[in-house]
Amino acid sequence: MTTSIRGGQFTAIADLRLRMFLNSLRSKRGKMELASRLLITLVFVVGGIGGFTVATGFAWYFVSQNNAEYMALLLWPIFFFWQLFPVMSTAFTNNPDSADLLRFPLTYRSYFLIRLAYGFFDPASALGTVALTGILLGTTIARPLLFPWALLVLFTFALFNLVLMQTVFTWLERWLAQRRTREIMAVLFILAMFSFQLIGPLIGRFGRTPHPQLRRTIQVGTQVQAVLPPGLAANAIAQTSHAQFLVGFTALLFLGALTLGIAALLHLRLRAQFRGENLSEAAARPALAQVQVLQMGWNLPGLPPSVTAVYEKEMRYIARSGPMLLTLFMPILMLLIFRLGPMNSLRHSSLLSRTPDMAFPGAAAYAILVLTNLVFNSFGGDGGGIQFFYASPVSFRQIVLAKNMAHGSILIANTAFAWIAASYLYGAPHLAVSVATLAGLLFATPLNFTAGNLLSIYAPKKRDFSTFGRQNASQTTVLASFGMQILIVGSGVAVFTIARLYGNLWIATLLFLALAAITIPLYLFVLCRLDHIALQRRETLVAELCRA
Amino acid sequence: MDLAPTICTQALTRRFGELIAVDGIDLRVAPGQFFGFLGPNGAGKSTTIKMLTGLLAPSSGRIEILGLDLNAHPMEVKRQIGVVPEGMALFGRLTGAEFLSFAGRMYGLDGMTAAKRAAELLEFMQLADQPKKLVTDYSHGMQKKLALAAAVIHGPKVLFLDEPFEGVDAIAAGTLKSMLQGMIARGATIFLTSHVLDIVERLCSHVAIIHQGRLVAQGSLEELRAGVEALKPAGSADASRVSGEKLTLEELFLRIVGGTHRAEQELSWLG
Repeated sequence: MTTSIRGGQFTAIADLRLRMFLNSLRSKRGKMELASRLLITLVFVVGGIGGFTVATGFAWYFVSQNNAEYMALLLWPIFFFWQLFPVMSTAFTNNPDSADLLRFPLTYRSYFLIRLAYGFFDPASALGTVALTGILLGTTIARPLLFPWALLVLFTFALFNLVLMQTVFTWLERWLAQRRTREIMAVLFILAMFSFQLIGPLIGRFGRTPHPQLRRTIQVGTQVQAVLPPGLAANAIAQTSHAQFLVGFTALLFLGALTLGIAALLHLRLRAQFRGENLSEAAARPALAQVQVLQMGWNLPGLPPSVTAVYEKEMRYIARSGPMLLTLFMPILMLLIFRLGPMNSLRHSSLLSRTPDMAFPGAAAYAILVLTNLVFNSFGGDGGGIQFFYASPVSFRQIVLAKNMAHGSILIANTAFAWIAASYLYGAPHLAVSVATLAGLLFATPLNFTAGNLLSIYAPKKRDFSTFGRQNASQTTVLASFGMQILIVGSGVAVFTIARLYGNLWIATLLFLALAAITIPLYLFVLCRLDHIALQRRETLVAELCRA
Repeated sequence: MDLAPTICTQALTRRFGELIAVDGIDLRVAPGQFFGFLGPNGAGKSTTIKMLTGLLAPSSGRIEILGLDLNAHPMEVKRQIGVVPEGMALFGRLTGAEFLSFAGRMYGLDGMTAAKRAAELLEFMQLADQPKKLVTDYSHGMQKKLALAAAVIHGPKVLFLDEPFEGVDAIAAGTLKSMLQGMIARGATIFLTSHVLDIVERLCSHVAIIHQGRLVAQGSLEELRAGVEALKPAGSADASRVSGEKLTLEELFLRIVGGTHRAEQELSWLG
């Protein structure tokens, strides 16, 4: 394929993205999305400026003090941020499925480059690049002659991060596509989270008394980090600044080789995609005839069959979504993190050591937070099924109520587990705290559900709960849900603070109940209006969720 | 005796901004009819069927299904109709049996009845082989069959089908046809849109043709043929047609909507 054709294809894809963006502005919702995106971008810009300033200052200080090796202290956080942020907050990533482009006569090389280009426009990449630019600036101010070399090293480091991020995403997608590998990945992820948290207690244990093994471990750790990408990049600049050109060059060479190695792994995945790989679960299982048994639906006493049916459907969807299940376990995991991690209650300076009673309310608040994806885009996972809801003789009030019941069940289960975990890890919370927390949930849950129900209808976004990443939520929803969480957590903190000021935690219960007396009727009022709102919004809802 | 129509629209109109997608159509579908709703791409077929099933609000006009005003009594109407819309309206992360059981209960069946009917329908549609397979992993034809099964699980009096045979192989199409003919034999009314005119001709007793948002023909196939023949100038016999041979639905359709074959004169660079 000639270069001009390839150039034409890249231009066409760039034009496509621009057109999609411009066309999205035709609707009111599109304009709201743009406004929300601008606000979120503003937050990122502030973060970027902060990162840039810190990176510039520290890089200048390290290089001017002839301690450029310490640059690793800057490069490691950048590395972690670049790799973990896209995985942890897929809501902000904006990578359309580039596999859709495969129908066109793209060469593999073009496909590879397009995937990298998509990765470059990820906020993590943008912020990482800004921070690296800060390091470059700081280094250049301190030692202007280092500029070309630092530029080359930092560029290679940026390329490494970019390639690694895409590699992690494509391989995770591959592993999470099938149930068996998904389960293995979930276990590995949880184990990894645990093992990270063991670092704190281990340091705590060995750090209390001078321990020769600890010093040895730190020495080994320093040596090991030096041969890992951030350490290599720091070393490449540092050694050159000390006129150790060969060592510096070797470090860069290693970094380049690692980048190529990771790129080869990415190549394996993208090549398979390019050849038309199918990640469907059906392909992984032999098509053996199975015996059919009568599939009785669930039966919840006192509820209409339609509400029970939607409730059952919601619970089955959640149970079949690996990533979603993982998220729902997070409150308990967070308690363990607080207990075992650097902020554990054994340390006198930790927050929870001073206020162990706050472990349960904190976990309960987090239990509400992890439901955000489900509550604020409750029709997102239904896709084309939304037409079924509109065609069926069931009111939207009932459908949404059933969805809220499913979300509420998860919240109740998570709260119960959180209470047990908090009791086990920190001692049973005081009765007044437990009751106040439950009263707090009575206030916060209806408020959260009210906002979530409205946003689910006003700013829906099709979402596949079975896939990992590459799905950006509606920016309006991201912003609104963020605001709602701040309001709920802020109210909770304020109420508990007032109760503590008066030295009586039962006051918190009373205040929460008073607030619940406002939010419960508000929830019911909005629920009753949902039929009307859903009818008004049916075209937008159907168009958005039935999108191919 | 002239029976009250099962489906009746009066001046049904739908605008999208400046565009009038459906322009004041008056449909009459009698009970027990197998009714084909035809038209070229973009003529307004899907918009009409969406309005008839409550998926889209009309800009103006009135819709009556089984004598009930759809706007005033949407729930009563929906309880008595079945719908297979354009996107099939499936829930991909359920198994076929779970989805049908869900659909049955949404239409007011109790759990046991829904489960029994779901099993029967899966068996009839030849979808019972892999009960643990998720709908998202079904082939297109299997999904069409499942969507139809979900639309009939509550025994609707009226069935609306938007392109039910699109992307369906001959075997699956045969299963769908036999089910639909069975329903007609038991007195149901079926309203379908399709581009496969051959199938419409074999299945439907009555058709309506929509073109540029307007209803340009409506009636039984014989009535349509008679209408087209009457419009033909005297003595203008079709040389390619044996005397007395009936016009096919495709020929009727092309004559009514005025289709032309331009590819021979244009796009000379093709092939």
